[in-house]
Amino acid sequence: MADASIEFKGSSFTLSVLHLKTSELADIRIDLDKKVAQAPDFFYLVPLVVNIEKLTCSIDYNAIKSLITEFNFTFVGFTGSVDKDQRKLIRELGFTFVNTTKAQATKINTTSSNISEKPIAVEKKVTKDNDSIAASPHTKLFTDKVHRGQIRSGQQIYAKDQNLVIIGSVSAGAEVIADGNIHVYGSLRGRAIAGAKGHHKAQIYCQSLEAELVSINGNYWLSESMEVHWGTPVYIHLTDSELTSSKLI
Amino acid sequence: MARIIVVTSGKGGVGKTTSSAAIGVGLALKGHNVVLIDFDIGLRNLDLIMGCERRVVYDFVNVINGEATLNQALIKDKRVKNLSILPASQTRDKDALNKENVGKVLEELGKNFDFIICDSPAGIEAGAMMALYYADEAIVTTNPEVSSVRDSDRILGMLASRSRRAELGLEPIKEHLLLTRYSPKRVEEGEMLSVEDVKDILSIPLLGVIPESQAVLKASNSGEPVILDTESDAGQAYQDVIERLLGETVEFRFLNVEKKGILSRLFGG
Repeated sequence: MADASIEFKGSSFTLSVLHLKTSELADIRIDLDKKVAQAPDFFYLVPLVVNIEKLTCSIDYNAIKSLITEFNFTFVGFTGSVDKDQRKLIRELGFTFVNTTKAQATKINTTSSNISEKPIAVEKKVTKDNDSIAASPHTKLFTDKVHRGQIRSGQQIYAKDQNLVIIGSVSAGAEVIADGNIHVYGSLRGRAIAGAKGHHKAQIYCQSLEAELVSINGNYWLSESMEVHWGTPVYIHLTDSELTSSKLI
Repeated sequence: MARIIVVTSGKGGVGKTTSSAAIGVGLALKGHNVVLIDFDIGLRNLDLIMGCERRVVYDFVNVINGEATLNQALIKDKRVKNLSILPASQTRDKDALNKENVGKVLEELGKNFDFIICDSPAGIEAGAMMALYYADEAIVTTNPEVSSVRDSDRILGMLASRSRRAELGLEPIKEHLLLTRYSPKRVEEGEMLSVEDVKDILSIPLLGVIPESQAVLKASNSGEPVILDTESDAGQAYQDVIERLLGETVEFRFLNVEKKGILSRLFGG
């Protein structure tokens, strides 16, 4: 009956991989600089795995990591099919060795595509939550999870891949979470988190807005931002990634 | 079958023990067989409020551990017949209690008593959970004050999810709201939450409103449950609570500031 506070799950992510074709740090630095300069925001804090397969001689792994971090990438680890000893060495240095999966290498088009790609090639772009708005349609209709009764302080209810309908009030200190929309036929005094998995069209409806926090796809308001419609029937939605509250009745 | 009623609150110091004692006495005076159990192991005070602290020989933990029988541990009240108290231990650890052994004690008590009133400790830890686990009904004692209301809301959530009835999918625990230390004057002045405010947040049926009263302190210190002080407002309010628990409909008193007539204002009193 223990309520765990954590859970380990397997998940796949698409990560950018930097293939090194030389172990000359100076050359790498020059080419990396050119590439990043083309679109610095694009690369900012992107998680990066470094593929060392094509290297013929050994390199200073620590120096590579520092270089990557210098250019504001988030260094994840090394990859590539290398022999056991190399992998062991990498691990001993305290770096992660990421096992390769069969990912397709596609070249990214940056602003000036005539830049020569000699020492560096970058693989598929990392998809983050906000970007999936454009990518995946999210046009499927969610069914409703209906809860009759109060949601008491300290309780939490999650409508996975569904809309959530609460027939009752949500007390302060309670949390209602849905991947779809949230409807509260009562007062919303706790926290409401809609579009939890990235559905930016999710909306929150309630008969009286007295919430501690409302969030749609990660964009949130604390109660101080709700003064306009406080205590009245509202619906909250996103317009251009900005939360907006509108009178309901 | 006995009605097992837990008097709980979440917040401490709101009037659980005072109310347990008053309600226990009140029901017994109406002719029912009542047992009061103190679940606050280590910080017992039900025996103090009932005025029987000098007669405690064996306690709840002794019974659980088989060191004494229920009959040896139960203390019969001297003023009211049909009323017994099962005191808590002051020196033992509350880890002695678990669901099985508490269940057995309650089952045995259920054979001889009509009402089993469980005086819960404050908080939401094991002691409070043990007190509410077997309850059929709950009296959620709340002060008209924000932290008390928030904590009562929390305990209501626990009653709905962590009790035996919830676990077995039986009919849920019947919840009652008991608002204590109510001051109509302060409510009028806007300083205190009103009955309506609390009802709006907690949404459970109102059992009673006990006004803030000096009689309560007097009662604790003398070991005479306040319901026996029939002149006091608190005592009378608890009388109304008894009626409602037994199914009668009684209008709520002590909700409004008493308007003094001109004569009483002139001559005081």
